[in-house]
Amino acid sequence: MSETSELKKGTEESQPASNERDAQKGKYMTFKSGSEYYGLKIQYVKEIIQFQAITVIPETADYIKGLINLRGKVIPVIDVRLRFKQAPIEYDDRTCIMVINVKSTTVGLIVEKIAEVVEIQEENILPPPSIGRIDKAQNKYVYGIGKVGDSVKLLLDPDKLLNDEDLSGAEQDDDTEEEE
Amino acid sequence: MKILLAEDDFVTRKFMVNFLSKYGECDVTVDGMEAVDAFMMALEDGEPYDLVCLDIMMPVMDGYQSLVGIRNLEKERNVPADKAAKVIMTTALNDEKNVKMAFELGCTVYSGKPIDQDRFEQALKKLDLI
Amino acid sequence: MAEEFNTEGMLDMYLFENEQLLEQLQDRVLEQKDAECFDEDSINEIFRTMHTIKGSSGIMMFDNITAVSHKLEDVFYYLRESHPENVPHLDLVEHVLEVADFISNEMDKIRNGSPVDGDSSDIIKRLDGFLNMLKNGIAQGGAEQPPENVHEEPKQFYIAPVATSASRFFKIYLTFFPETEMANVHAYKTVYALKEIAEDLLYSPDDIIADEGSAELILKEGFRILLQAQCSEQEIRDIIGVGYDIKNVDIFECKAEEFLQGFDFGDQDTQIDLESSVEEIESKAQEAAEEDGEKEVKEPPKPQIAPGDFVIKSKEPGKHKTLAKDKNKVEKASFISVNVSKMDQLMELIGELVISESVVLQSPDLKVPGLNLNNFNKAAAQMSKISTDLQNVIMSMRMVSLANTFQKMNRIVFDVSRKLGKDIEFEMLGEQTEVDKNIIEHISDPLMHMVRNAVDHGIETNEERAQSGKTEKGRVILSARTEAGKVWISVEDNGKGLDREKILAKARKQGLLDDNKPDSSYSDKDVYQFITLPGFSTNEQVTEYSGRGVGMDVVVQSIQSIGGALDIESQTGFGTVMSLKIPLTLAIINGIVMETGNSSFVMETSVIKEFVSVRENMMIREPNGDEYVMIRGECFPVRRLGRWYGMSAYKESVEDGMMLILEVEDKKICLFVDKLIGEQEIVVKPIPSYIKKVKGLSGCTQLGDGSIALILDPAGLLE
Repeated sequence: MSETSELKKGTEESQPASNERDAQKGKYMTFKSGSEYYGLKIQYVKEIIQFQAITVIPETADYIKGLINLRGKVIPVIDVRLRFKQAPIEYDDRTCIMVINVKSTTVGLIVEKIAEVVEIQEENILPPPSIGRIDKAQNKYVYGIGKVGDSVKLLLDPDKLLNDEDLSGAEQDDDTEEEE
Repeated sequence: MKILLAEDDFVTRKFMVNFLSKYGECDVTVDGMEAVDAFMMALEDGEPYDLVCLDIMMPVMDGYQSLVGIRNLEKERNVPADKAAKVIMTTALNDEKNVKMAFELGCTVYSGKPIDQDRFEQALKKLDLI
Repeated sequence: MAEEFNTEGMLDMYLFENEQLLEQLQDRVLEQKDAECFDEDSINEIFRTMHTIKGSSGIMMFDNITAVSHKLEDVFYYLRESHPENVPHLDLVEHVLEVADFISNEMDKIRNGSPVDGDSSDIIKRLDGFLNMLKNGIAQGGAEQPPENVHEEPKQFYIAPVATSASRFFKIYLTFFPETEMANVHAYKTVYALKEIAEDLLYSPDDIIADEGSAELILKEGFRILLQAQCSEQEIRDIIGVGYDIKNVDIFECKAEEFLQGFDFGDQDTQIDLESSVEEIESKAQEAAEEDGEKEVKEPPKPQIAPGDFVIKSKEPGKHKTLAKDKNKVEKASFISVNVSKMDQLMELIGELVISESVVLQSPDLKVPGLNLNNFNKAAAQMSKISTDLQNVIMSMRMVSLANTFQKMNRIVFDVSRKLGKDIEFEMLGEQTEVDKNIIEHISDPLMHMVRNAVDHGIETNEERAQSGKTEKGRVILSARTEAGKVWISVEDNGKGLDREKILAKARKQGLLDDNKPDSSYSDKDVYQFITLPGFSTNEQVTEYSGRGVGMDVVVQSIQSIGGALDIESQTGFGTVMSLKIPLTLAIINGIVMETGNSSFVMETSVIKEFVSVRENMMIREPNGDEYVMIRGECFPVRRLGRWYGMSAYKESVEDGMMLILEVEDKKICLFVDKLIGEQEIVVKPIPSYIKKVKGLSGCTQLGDGSIALILDPAGLLE
């Protein structure tokens, strides 16, 4: 449990204390996956918890790892790396689960390493390049690149992250519908 | 048309005066007691009010008590039913028993707040006031 | 300061009463639709209904409703007074239903706050025509015309307030982490943030700025806020934000009355009877209800308000107006209406209670050898009994009969069959069956769609039926029954059935078939399931009653969202049966917990007939991989759980695990698992909807040790 509270403290300290309602705007929770840093608008993040035992559900997509018990609530968890079609890695003691809530769906994201909360102004967010640095799978979930000092964070659209079907499947459906 | 308004809330009062002035000359009182007094004065002057607009929740006397007072004054002077003032009670209270009691005590129209201006006018027409 | 908020009592009453009247009217009319003409009682009832609706609508100044009911009242007045013969009955039935629909529509507009602008002149013209025709009939017969109907004009009017629909009311409950320092300041920050959007705001504890003791109170009991604002729940959440000091934010939307009640959680003087059984409780409640009913007949209820009750005492900014006379609106009622969200909370809590119970009863602390647990076990048994009774009472509170829903279908069959010129009978079976309120909400539309399909596409036209030699009338049967914790609802028709070939052809065209499998390998059931896929409709014509295949897939989705399934059976030329199988919500069932590989599973006890330890020589293996086992001379197909789910680390040899004999819908199968753990009561929780349905799994649950077990659906395993 102590690690969890340490994580909490870490993020709290980098969050400027503020009473303004705008305190939420422009703040992103960032985390590391592979060699990149990703960011997610903080209003979607409910909490960050230590990695815990996952109940596997058979016959689900590879990135859906299973279910966890969060204080009595049953929540599905997905592995972010697998969602991005990257090679999976071993979970270690830095791995944690970021619980997000998007449009009343609560899901846990297994992230390699939590980083800090950063504030990114609108003007420092650029649209993602369609080729190159980011590969195709991530392209849909990444809606922008945020510059923070010298580094960049890939900004994620949580809705797409959770709900987008595989690209190939979607195209097929469109074709059949046009046929009709 | 002579109109008597009883309303204790400043903002609502302004609105009501504005709204009612379209139809006639509007006198303003701020509590139930004043309303009854004003009504009596008008009766004695021989120029009774055609329409009385009563708020229900007011200091000193509430709308119901005013209504009773007004109807009693009319009864005392043997004002015939068709010449009696039409009373409209305005309030945010909408329970069936509030409405029932109002009708039993002699209220003509019970209008919930915020006032539906179109229907208000419709009612005035049905009552032959305009 | 603006006045109090609308409680909409009058309007609600008006809508509620007239809705009831219209429903009864419709039922009555449909009952008599096949009769020669309306009997005396019906005519009187319809007359009275229209008279009542006309009266109340007149007071509320809904002129079009008043006009329409006025006219129909005239018609029935005429029927009552002159008893004409040869009244075109079905036309009259349609007129009445038309009027009922018009009024119903207008009332919906009233309910939604839309302008009540329906044009009644058409209907009135037609009713006039009908009435004149009746009058002419009587005149020609030489009989005297009865006196004209006399109407009293209303003299008093009620004007409903214009809905300030934008304002919404919320109850917010915040809890902070126990380590939080100066929780009162955090609370203040939240209140400050909310003030931006609040039209009115109350909170408790209320002295959070100066009183440091409030911090402790807030940590202990949470911080409550009552908010009136024109915003959505999500906007409130955004404002309150996600601080790491806020542990939990609960937001409930509520009505103005609840907002006005403030933090006064006044209790109703209800006592909880722990000792009597559920039956005793129910019969006591019924006695009480009957008593109250009697009392009402003897004394008219005294009015509870009087002039003078509404004199204002004081008005402080930010607080409600207080009245000089404090009224206690304590109404003794044998029924109380309860907010559905509270019922949901109650259901969740009882689920949590059952889980907690297992955690306690399975506590490792108890496993110390040599402990004398006699007293403990007795007490535990008592506790289990109470919690079971509690579950039963709670579940019964949410049960609603299907009668209403089925009646709606009656009307639909009538309308659609009339419009299409088909002669169709409608039959209902088991409509008294009760199901959870939640289920009714989810199956209403699907059922409507299926019934429409049956009438529109299933049942042939009268000519077609004659041609194929069908002598009976087209029939749609809606039936319901409960069995083994599930509710079965079916829509059956004796129409032309589904065309297997046509469906296969369409499926092929859409590329849904596996080229390697011959058509014959698809069972009828499989073929029929194709029609539930999106975009699949073998109808060349889209009729206004059943669209272009946008229906069945949505039907299936709705049903699956409550954990149910759709089964389709059909016989070409004879008819179709569509069955819904729905589990009763929040099942708390007895289940057997088992392990396979590294996972725990649970299955409902009633499905498991026997546990058997088998030996290798009892197994039979077919060349294609199918396995069977012989147990006492009977042969069962075998399903290996570990292999079926592609798990790792499960037991291979049948001698190392356990065989379960399952019986599902008259079919028997053996399930091979690694190990049995035990039997316990489990709370069925749905697998989060984010995860797509997995065959054979119907939910999940938390075991006594906190781990999650997956609940197996035996029917799914059979496939």
